[in-house]
Amino acid sequence: MNTAIIYRKEAWYDLLSVWRTPGFVVPALAFPAIFYLFFGVFFNSGAASAYLLVSYGCFGIMGPAMFNFAMSIASDRAHGWLTLKRLSPMPFGAYLLAKLSTALVFALVIMLVLFSIAALLADVRLVATQWLLLALTLLLGTLPFAFIGLIVGLSMSDKAAPAMVNLLYLPMAFLSGLWVPITMLPQLLQQLAWLWPSYHVSQIGLKVIAMDQAHALWLHLLILLISSLLLAALASWLFRRLTGEKA
Amino acid sequence: MFALDVNHLTKAYAGKMVLAGVHLTLKAGEVLCILGPNGAGKTTLISIILGLVKADSGSIHLLGEQQQGRSRSKALRQQLGVMMQIGSLSANLTVFEQCDLFSSYYANGYSATELVQLAGLEAHSKQRFGRLSGGQKQRLLFALALAAKPKLVFLDEPTLGMDVEARRVLWQQVRQLKQQGVAVVLTTHYLEEAEQLADRITVLNQGIVVASGSPAELKALTRYNVIQCESALTDQSLLAIPGVEQLQRESNLCILHSSHAEQTVRALLLADDSLCQLEVRPVPLEQAFLQLTQTETTNKEKAA
Repeated sequence: MNTAIIYRKEAWYDLLSVWRTPGFVVPALAFPAIFYLFFGVFFNSGAASAYLLVSYGCFGIMGPAMFNFAMSIASDRAHGWLTLKRLSPMPFGAYLLAKLSTALVFALVIMLVLFSIAALLADVRLVATQWLLLALTLLLGTLPFAFIGLIVGLSMSDKAAPAMVNLLYLPMAFLSGLWVPITMLPQLLQQLAWLWPSYHVSQIGLKVIAMDQAHALWLHLLILLISSLLLAALASWLFRRLTGEKA
Repeated sequence: MFALDVNHLTKAYAGKMVLAGVHLTLKAGEVLCILGPNGAGKTTLISIILGLVKADSGSIHLLGEQQQGRSRSKALRQQLGVMMQIGSLSANLTVFEQCDLFSSYYANGYSATELVQLAGLEAHSKQRFGRLSGGQKQRLLFALALAAKPKLVFLDEPTLGMDVEARRVLWQQVRQLKQQGVAVVLTTHYLEEAEQLADRITVLNQGIVVASGSPAELKALTRYNVIQCESALTDQSLLAIPGVEQLQRESNLCILHSSHAEQTVRALLLADDSLCQLEVRPVPLEQAFLQLTQTETTNKEKAA
C-alpha cells in the first residue's frame, strides 16, 4: 500500500462519482454562467461587468464546495459507506481531501467559464496579475465553504442536508452583496455582512480590480482565517463526537 | 491466541441493559455464528467489537491486541474485513472502480481484478453499483470485506437477498476462508446458514449469552428428538407414551417430540404392531433456537 496512491484514487473516484451526477454538475456549472451572461453581459457592461465577474465567481465557487461536502458526507453516513471506510485503513484525510479537490476542480471550471465570458463577451480587460490574483482568491475562498459543508454533512441527515445548504447558500450570497452590490443594501445588512465569509472573499476579489469597499486587506484575511479555524474546529469536534477518533 | 476474545462486555442505553456481561472467543480457522432474536443485542455487540460504539465495561482483544474505547489501530484495520448491511456505495462508481478503490487501502490485499473475480461479477465489472441487483450488491460487499486478505472477518447477514445458487457459492467461499485459517464472525437470520457454516453458535437473548456451542451441542441442549411414524394409535394413547411431550399430525404421519427417544420408540413398537415409516431425528436448529430464546423470555417475564 502506498498512501499517496490512496489519496490519488480517493480524489479521482470522488470527482468521477460527482461528475456522473448530472443533478449536481448542471446547476453547479450553469447557474453562475447563466447569471453572469444575463446580468454581466446583456444588462451591463464595462466596470459593472468586471464587478459582477467577481461576485458571480464567488457565488459560483461557494455552491460546489458546500454541496459536495454536505450532501455526499451526509449520504455516505446514512448508507453506512462512511462506517465501512472508517473500518478500513484508509486515512480519513484522504476522504476529506478528495472532497476538497473535487470542490476545487469545480471552482476552477466555473472560474474558467466565467473568465472566458468576461474576456470574450463582456470585454472585461484585466492585466495578467489581476486574473491570477482573482483566480487565487476564488480558489482559496472555497475553504471556509468546504468547512461549512463538512459541518452540515456531519451533523444532518441526508434528507435535511441539501435543504440546509440551500438555506445557508442563497441568503448568504445575497447578504454578502453577490447579487445586489453590497453598497445598495441597507446599512444594517452591510454591517451584518462582516459575519459572512462570502463577503470577505468577494471584497478581496474586488480589491484586485480596485472596486472594493476599501477596508484593509489584512482585516478581511484575518477574519477569513479566524472563521475558517473556528469552522474547522467545530467540524473536527463533530467528527470526534461521531467516531471517537481524532480527525 | 484468540482471533477474537471478548470478556464481560456490558452496555446500557438510557438505563436499559443491552449487553449484560457477554463473553466470546473465536480461534483462527473457526466460524462463530451469533444468533438472537431482533433486539437481542447482536448489532450492539458487533458495533462495540468493531469500535463503532463504546462499551460501558469489559475487555476486547482483536488479533491479540487489547482494544480501548472506539479507536482501532491502522495495523489492525489492515487485517480486518467487514461486510455490513449497506444502503448504497457511491451509486455512480462501477464494480471495478469500487474494487480498485478498496484494494488500494490494503498493503497485502487482493488486486481490483481479483476482487471482481471473488465477487463473481466479471460480467458486470463496468456496471455502476446503483444498477446491480440486491444479490450482486451483496456479492460485491462480500468481496470488499476480503480486500485485505484479512485474518478476521465480520459478515453481517451476508446472504440477504441472494438466490439459492449465490448463497451456496458464498457458503463455499466462507468454508475456503476457514481453510485458509481466517476467523469468521457471522450473524444471520437463516438458521440453515448457521448450521451449515458455524463451528460454534452463540445464542444471545436480551443481552445475555443463553447458549454457546457447536450446532450439534445446541440441538442436544433442547433434549428433544423428533419421532415420526405412521401409527394406528389414537392421540390419547400416543400422548400417554413415556417421553412424548408434543404431538402433531400431518396427513397419516404422527410427529412426536420426545424427551426420551429410546423409551418412546420402545413403547411405541410394543403398543402398535402395524407401526411403519419410523424415523428419529434431532430437532432442527430452528426449533432449538426458538426454545432457547423463548424459555429465557418466559423466565424473565415470570421474574418481572
